[in-house]
Amino acid sequence: MGQLLVNGIVAGLLLALPALALSLTFSVLRFANYAVGSYLSCGAYLVYIGNVVLGMPLWLAASAGAALFAVIAVGIDWLAYRPLRDRGGVTLLVASMGVAIALENVIRFFAGNLPRAYNVPVARPMRFGDIRLNHEQLTILVAVFAALAVVWIIFRFTRLGRMMRAVADNPDLAAVRGISRSRVVAYVWLIAGMLTTLSGVLVGLDANVEPQMGWTYLLPVFTAAILGGIANPMAAVAGALTLGLAEELATLVMPVHYRMIVTFLVMVALLLVRPWGLFGTRWVTK
Amino acid sequence: MTVYLIATLTLVAIAALAGLALNLQWGMGGLVNFGLFGFYMLGAYIAGLLTVQGLPPLVALGVAMLGVAALSALSALISVRLSEDYLAIVTLGFAECLRLVISYEGWLTRGMLGVSGIERPLQAWWPRGWGDTGFLLLALLAVLIVYTVLQALARSPFGRLVRATRDDPGVVEALGKSVLGVRVRVFAIGGAILGLAGSLHAFYYSYIDPTQFGPIITAYAFMAVVVGGRGSNRGVVASAFTLIFLLEGSRFLIDLVPGLGASELAAIRLFLVGVGLVALLIFKPDGFGREPRSALADKTSSRF
Repeated sequence: MGQLLVNGIVAGLLLALPALALSLTFSVLRFANYAVGSYLSCGAYLVYIGNVVLGMPLWLAASAGAALFAVIAVGIDWLAYRPLRDRGGVTLLVASMGVAIALENVIRFFAGNLPRAYNVPVARPMRFGDIRLNHEQLTILVAVFAALAVVWIIFRFTRLGRMMRAVADNPDLAAVRGISRSRVVAYVWLIAGMLTTLSGVLVGLDANVEPQMGWTYLLPVFTAAILGGIANPMAAVAGALTLGLAEELATLVMPVHYRMIVTFLVMVALLLVRPWGLFGTRWVTK
Repeated sequence: MTVYLIATLTLVAIAALAGLALNLQWGMGGLVNFGLFGFYMLGAYIAGLLTVQGLPPLVALGVAMLGVAALSALSALISVRLSEDYLAIVTLGFAECLRLVISYEGWLTRGMLGVSGIERPLQAWWPRGWGDTGFLLLALLAVLIVYTVLQALARSPFGRLVRATRDDPGVVEALGKSVLGVRVRVFAIGGAILGLAGSLHAFYYSYIDPTQFGPIITAYAFMAVVVGGRGSNRGVVASAFTLIFLLEGSRFLIDLVPGLGASELAAIRLFLVGVGLVALLIFKPDGFGREPRSALADKTSSRF
């Protein structure tokens, strides 16, 4: 049981960063970025190039990859999403599917379909009584909490964070107060790009690096974000932890390969009962 | 060469059906169905499994259409009260879960082994050696029927209502019509067409397994609708028979370009589909076709 809880928390933490990235972009841009899964895979492959092809240590490769992909995410926004900004959420939604397909196939073209692994030393798992914690899980724990702390500090205590919250809350009012929306949007993509790259590395550590990795995370990431109330970035983290625990505990009654069905059921139940999220506040839909 | 042409045209006809279904759901109704391939897969499996059990293929096809329509309506009920983003993720989740169930519940679906020996409908009608041509004619007939029905529907009062719910659900609600009812029906009719497309897929290959179905089917349908112009059935059929024909036909390039494997070629093709989708939405948002009887609406509505 204790082991299940630990695994559930780790699974939830893996979801936390992409869910945070998704709801961050949603809160500022009002569109659900379907390409978030492909961002995750792309980041993971960029770091793979640094780590295995160029022989950098993983932390260095991850930092370089995150910085590089953050710039790419801003570039994608410039090329694909910016021209469509005034056309409503549905058009952007379909465009983001196009972006997702394109990115995934760039990966397939250059890297093929075979799963790959990062070059990290193999280590024996640590034991605390009955509970085993392997080094990958420890890395995930530390990295996710560090990233969350940084984002939280930016969000709460900096000028940029205030600007982001202002634009998310009321873009017109923010514009009147002299906040440049396009600058805030660029920063949001930078942060989202770094978060998805980091989560890609962690998912790659936990399992493998393969073109499908982002795709399999898409549904849980959306569910986690909806659980938190999709326009509420920090609550997405709580949503991710809840979902991770739910998925892990469900393995007591369901086969492991049906994880995604648990996720789907959670999402359906939530949309029927509390569509504004477990931690969100009710808002008016049309 | 002729054999290849017939095979490609059959696939294009099936893709055109999926495109027409999406054009009703998304083009006319504004409902984003990202899980299109799941409904298509469900149609293929219902038709395939029932045919293998000994049911006449045409009866199996009918059951598949009804079954997919019912499940489409159900999945629409979950989320159409909310905004479009949610319908997109719910349909996608439904499709992924369905693929998992089909992959693992071997007692029902034969799992990853797949269902083989699916008989085609009306096979006895054609002389020996003309089976593929006959099936192509059948698929084209299906496209013709669906096209005619959808054109009639688009011009009918119901069609107007569907477009109205897309453009402004508030007004429709204020006029005393049920937006939810319209959306569920649109999703169900689209689902029936997807069931038909999936059934034809199963009949054509006579063998189905879970790996045949993936998001790429959804991507092709979106491409057909975006190129053809949302709401224009004629445009969707035309774009399916030109664009998807070209994309499918590009398999030929393997023989012509040395050093290019099948998986690289598939990656290039899908990359082009993805980039093409975005580029079209940016540069040619209305596609190349026109929605019937809504020239005014096109000019005044900025949302679509």
